[in-house]
Amino acid sequence: MKRYLWFVIPALGLAGVVLGYLLFNLSDTLVYYRTPTEVRREVAADPQARLRLGGQVQVGSLVAGGGRVAFVIADETSDIPVEHTGTPPQLFQEGGGVVVEGTWDGTVFRSDVMIIKHDEQYRTEDGEIYTPPTDAP
Amino acid sequence: MRRKAWLDFAAGALLAGALVAGLAVPPERNMGDLARIMFVHVPAAWLAYLAFGVTLVGSVGYLATGRMKWDRLAAGSAEVGVYFNGLTIALGMIWGKSTWGVWWTWDARLVLTAIMFFVYLGYLGLRRGIADPVARARRSAWLGVLGAVQIPIVHFSVVWWRGLHQPPSVIRPGGVQMDNEFRIALAIAVLAFTFVYAALLRRHMENALAEEALAARLASEEVEVAGAAITAPRYGEVD
Repeated sequence: MKRYLWFVIPALGLAGVVLGYLLFNLSDTLVYYRTPTEVRREVAADPQARLRLGGQVQVGSLVAGGGRVAFVIADETSDIPVEHTGTPPQLFQEGGGVVVEGTWDGTVFRSDVMIIKHDEQYRTEDGEIYTPPTDAP
Repeated sequence: MRRKAWLDFAAGALLAGALVAGLAVPPERNMGDLARIMFVHVPAAWLAYLAFGVTLVGSVGYLATGRMKWDRLAAGSAEVGVYFNGLTIALGMIWGKSTWGVWWTWDARLVLTAIMFFVYLGYLGLRRGIADPVARARRSAWLGVLGAVQIPIVHFSVVWWRGLHQPPSVIRPGGVQMDNEFRIALAIAVLAFTFVYAALLRRHMENALAEEALAARLASEEVEVAGAAITAPRYGEVD
């Protein structure tokens, strides 16, 4: 009918394929960070390979000094000790979410990049009881 | 023009109200005063969704009826949507730097929001590139339909893929994860932004109508465009 349809039909097909690929194939690799459980289970110890690790900073685990901080990142089932070089961002705190980037040698995660992750809860300081997020997929 | 000035005044008054509400709520327990950026970042993002949704409606309307008013609606809404989409990214970067510690990172939500911005910039570019109004309306309508596929993908990207950006607090399965003070201030801000969107959309559609009238007049009459009296100097003809 119209020459233009020769463009529209393949474009729709291409968009569908790209969308399907994104939704079904990349789901595992599109994650921004790995949880401690995943790192302990799936990631081979390699001081060269960089990856991101994310979770909650375990309360009571934080030790700071000499341009470094050491703490433990935990999820529901596992935890990993982290040694971070550099000054943490302003909102870094025990019990808060954090994503660190660095290497995993099997015992300690050494990071030099730290990003704070905050959850979808917005609470006033005297507000309701804080419930930690449970929907980490 | 004056007859609809109430929309502009309502948008201005609501923006002032949203400013007061946004500054009056108590600080957030983790982010403190930084959480107030939510009252502009979140409405900007939602209005970008709404604007591109209206572009979808206008595009489908044009393809179904062939009437130019639907094309004006689609195009005007995309123009305003690009404002809000850009605003979302700019405010998000400021918020990201102050809370996460980085201006930008390759998180799925961030990347997809930027792609949406560029797709709709491309939509506006496509419109600029086609002189024939009917071909322009038809082709951009197809892009307006295709582009709208991104709206749910951008919104649910934070649910589908584990990322840095926090998941939705309001439009989500389960309850709203926000204290009442924040909900009220956010609601006022969303209302204000919606009025700003409506006021801007009306201006853009009026402009589009005026441009169509100008193009029709230029095509029908021998009207000299501005600058037609000036001829370019010719090289080598200095006397």
